[in-house]
Amino acid sequence: MTLLKPAAAQTAVPVAQPVRRIRVAGVFLLTIAAVVVLAGVHLTQGTSSIGAGDLLRLAIGQGTDDAASVLVASRLPRLLAGALVGVALGVAGAGLQSLARNPLASPDTLGVNAGAYLAVVVFAAFGISLPTLPAGGVAFLGGLAAAVLVLALSAGGTSGPTRLILAGSAIAMALAGFTTLLLVLYQEETVGTFAWGSGSLVQTDLDAVTQMAPIVALGIIAAILLAPKLDILALGDDTASVLGVNVRRTRMVITLVTVMLSAAAVTVAGPVGFVGLVAPVIVRLIAPLVPGLMRHRVLLPLSGLAGVIVVLGADVVLRLALGGKAGVEIPTGIVTMLVGAIVLVWLARRYRDSGPSRTASGSTRGRLRSRRTFVIVAGVLVVLVIGAAIVAMLAGDAWLRTGDITNWVSGRSGRAITFVLDQRFPRVVSALLCGAALAIAGATVQAVCRNPLAEPGILGITGGAGVGALLTLILAPAAGVWLLSGSAAVAALATFALVYAISWRGGLSSDRLVLIGVGVSAAATAVITFLIVYSDPWNVAMAMTWLSGSTYGRTLPQVVPVAIALVVLTPFLVHARRELDLLSLDDDVPRILGVRLERTRLFALLCSALLTAAAVSAIGVLGFVGLVAPHAARALVGGKHARVLPVAALLGAALVSFADSIGRTVIAPAQIPAGLVTSMIGAPYFVYLLWRTRRAS
Amino acid sequence: MRITALAVASLALVLTACGSSETVTPEPEGSASVQPVSVTDARNKKVDLKAPATKVVALEWGVVEGLVTLGVMPVGIADTKGYNNWVTAAKLDPSVKDVGTRGESSVDAIVALNPDLIITTTDEAPNTIAQLEKAVPVLVIRGSDAKNAIPQMKTNLDLVAQAVGKTDTAKTVLADFDKALAEGKQKITAAGKTGELFTMSDGYKQGSTVSLRMYTTGSLLGAVATELGLKNGWTGAGDKDYGLAPTDIEGLTKIPNGNFLYIANKNDGGDVFGEDLSKNAIWKNLPFVKSNDVHRLPDGIWMFGGPKSTEQFIDAAVEAVTS
Repeated sequence: MTLLKPAAAQTAVPVAQPVRRIRVAGVFLLTIAAVVVLAGVHLTQGTSSIGAGDLLRLAIGQGTDDAASVLVASRLPRLLAGALVGVALGVAGAGLQSLARNPLASPDTLGVNAGAYLAVVVFAAFGISLPTLPAGGVAFLGGLAAAVLVLALSAGGTSGPTRLILAGSAIAMALAGFTTLLLVLYQEETVGTFAWGSGSLVQTDLDAVTQMAPIVALGIIAAILLAPKLDILALGDDTASVLGVNVRRTRMVITLVTVMLSAAAVTVAGPVGFVGLVAPVIVRLIAPLVPGLMRHRVLLPLSGLAGVIVVLGADVVLRLALGGKAGVEIPTGIVTMLVGAIVLVWLARRYRDSGPSRTASGSTRGRLRSRRTFVIVAGVLVVLVIGAAIVAMLAGDAWLRTGDITNWVSGRSGRAITFVLDQRFPRVVSALLCGAALAIAGATVQAVCRNPLAEPGILGITGGAGVGALLTLILAPAAGVWLLSGSAAVAALATFALVYAISWRGGLSSDRLVLIGVGVSAAATAVITFLIVYSDPWNVAMAMTWLSGSTYGRTLPQVVPVAIALVVLTPFLVHARRELDLLSLDDDVPRILGVRLERTRLFALLCSALLTAAAVSAIGVLGFVGLVAPHAARALVGGKHARVLPVAALLGAALVSFADSIGRTVIAPAQIPAGLVTSMIGAPYFVYLLWRTRRAS
Repeated sequence: MRITALAVASLALVLTACGSSETVTPEPEGSASVQPVSVTDARNKKVDLKAPATKVVALEWGVVEGLVTLGVMPVGIADTKGYNNWVTAAKLDPSVKDVGTRGESSVDAIVALNPDLIITTTDEAPNTIAQLEKAVPVLVIRGSDAKNAIPQMKTNLDLVAQAVGKTDTAKTVLADFDKALAEGKQKITAAGKTGELFTMSDGYKQGSTVSLRMYTTGSLLGAVATELGLKNGWTGAGDKDYGLAPTDIEGLTKIPNGNFLYIANKNDGGDVFGEDLSKNAIWKNLPFVKSNDVHRLPDGIWMFGGPKSTEQFIDAAVEAVTS
């Protein structure tokens, strides 16, 4: 609860300052001027040859029909869509941040965009083509469900930025997993919704904009009407109640309004990333210079305008840098997501360590268990992993029998079965080894970050490795296993070094590390999407591997780096098990006991970065395993790393292997990437985890 | 030595009941086709077969079309439903098995069909090809080459024909194609339409966004239309393989007057030009729309197919331009 105070105080102080009307008006004028200039530039960009000159002639009544129709049917729709999306997300972001009293809340970090997008894709998948308005309604319900879930899990956001971000990004990841699954299953019905999924402003008519504009207008008016209550709410729930504000009702109404705004934006352009986070932050940045900006009657509309600047700015920069054609191919949302990720990192860096509150995680470290429990659990898991491996060898289009495997092992199987098992074997091995590697990496990261919710993916290491491997694959399509793994490792280490360096502020705060990691991993996702869309937009298979993790087409040589990483690095981590135990307690105990804190920490993280990189280069970006397996291990055998590490490794191996078997079987001969299945198994567990620790704190 | 080994192996297969009896039955067409075959594919790799392949799995629709045209019904192909929607030039038997998606076909399903040959394109990931190759010989063709579209299509049919022992049939098919092309050209000339401008496109809708693909002169259909004596109104460059250039509705304003041809599919994606764009101001103001020169070609002409699909296109294009 200590976290609540600085956040509340931060928003409360400026309200007490006198309002300088002239300065506020000046800021508004400047912002509007900036919007107008950007809009002007925006209008001159496009795929046709219509430039500024043609538009100017049009303005003085001497233009051609061509220029007029391009302006009306392409340039204006795109401009208006951008403006609408920007203003809606800007206001929604500001509202959500005040609601959660948390500067990191936004439609993205609360999962609203992901939920709304999933709802839209569900309908598309079942072949129901909805008109814009009902589509907006569907998006609204999806977004609302996601927001309510995330807010519930993070105690309305007041439980601190880390928890909010973790809950939000995990829910968003799970929802995105379901969305991708639908895209895979119903490829015909959802052609190319992949690019749209990152937020594209290409519009062919004004239908979507004109139908959503009234809704956005309503939302903004409602938000501004609620502004005085938000001002009072910023003083804290108790104060607000005393001052006669119905806190519950106000929260509910503002949630509905902000979700409605975000859903309208998703309906028009797909999820345009992180605008809702960035726009209010820009306003907060200039707030100290102009007293009165933090009053919600000013803050909300100004954030909306800032949102417009962000979206149009991203679009203008994208087309300036890569030409008009790029504006068609590359979703604008990728650019805003990159910008947003940088802002997230910057915010996280400013975020002050909240000190002793971290001990709250003690409740999730797991109870002490007897040695007997550990032996039994480990025994059961070994059997489970062997079972998973056997099932994985049997599962596929056609189920084999165990006799086939024994024949295959002894080299007596027939041609067809030999081939089937020969190709299944590397997939099974890669699933098992990558699962184990990710789980060990996850256990280590969680110990070092002293945060049971951290994992290599959340620290940006997985994403970084993905970018490295994918970049190599694009530049040298024939790259061998070692080059691929090597570049993934280099990129993972570089990303990790970056996260570590940015997080370092006279010491390492684990919360800051996690927040910055989330930002960097968002940036990595944006870069991966950009690379795929730019290099090979139709290559769904490539997108699947690098965004979801897949064992498709693995060969044994590709698995070798993972095996080596496991064999070489695990002993180091096992050797450091006591240090890991101490690190997961707090900063002081290890110091007192003579552990060289930073060195051990850095070393342990280095090992997990390498393990992750090896796994990613073999199987792609695979989420949730590094999160779920270690946590389940702690719940089973307690917090001692001598026990957590092996149990987590076994759990991880079994989880990925089962996920892979399911993915290869259920919709055969088509297949689901293993990573999507792990998200679907991992996400509910993670939600349960958050729910339980919510009660604990 | 090798022949004995093969005989023993095939005997063993029959005895263990792993292979089906069909594999051993010689081709009814005659003894000539039992000769071993050696084909050098697009990777410059020699693919050796002990006999022309009869049980073939094809992972790209252009190859499937070629096989069916040559009289060899594949045992399995990737995405049968999609093929039936998009390729009408060479109909599939209902017995043809689906082996998964074109992006990620299922090795299990392929091997279960016990084929003698798999044919795929250079678009397939090298890893997948390597893996398939362990099970069954794989012939890799280059899907398309934007510098050389028509010869590439012919080379591809030739390669497939060599592998299945149908080189004579392929000669006839390609001769028919050349004839169709020449006749088409003649009709264009007779109608006085030589040098007439045309553009070719297809489109998809995603959310409220319509994306269009223009067929440059490097694309197969673009190259064929050029051969017919038409002039491509889209001068921008496309990708290096298929010669496609993505654009949006605004990009269409670069197209001068002429015939606008497009392909849509009522079962898959619908008609974005006829429906979504019809109310659009830019669309309505385009010269070829104003002069009513927009032609929806019949559904099911595969844009990246072989001679038969391309002949369908020739007929449709000639019809559209001369009407």
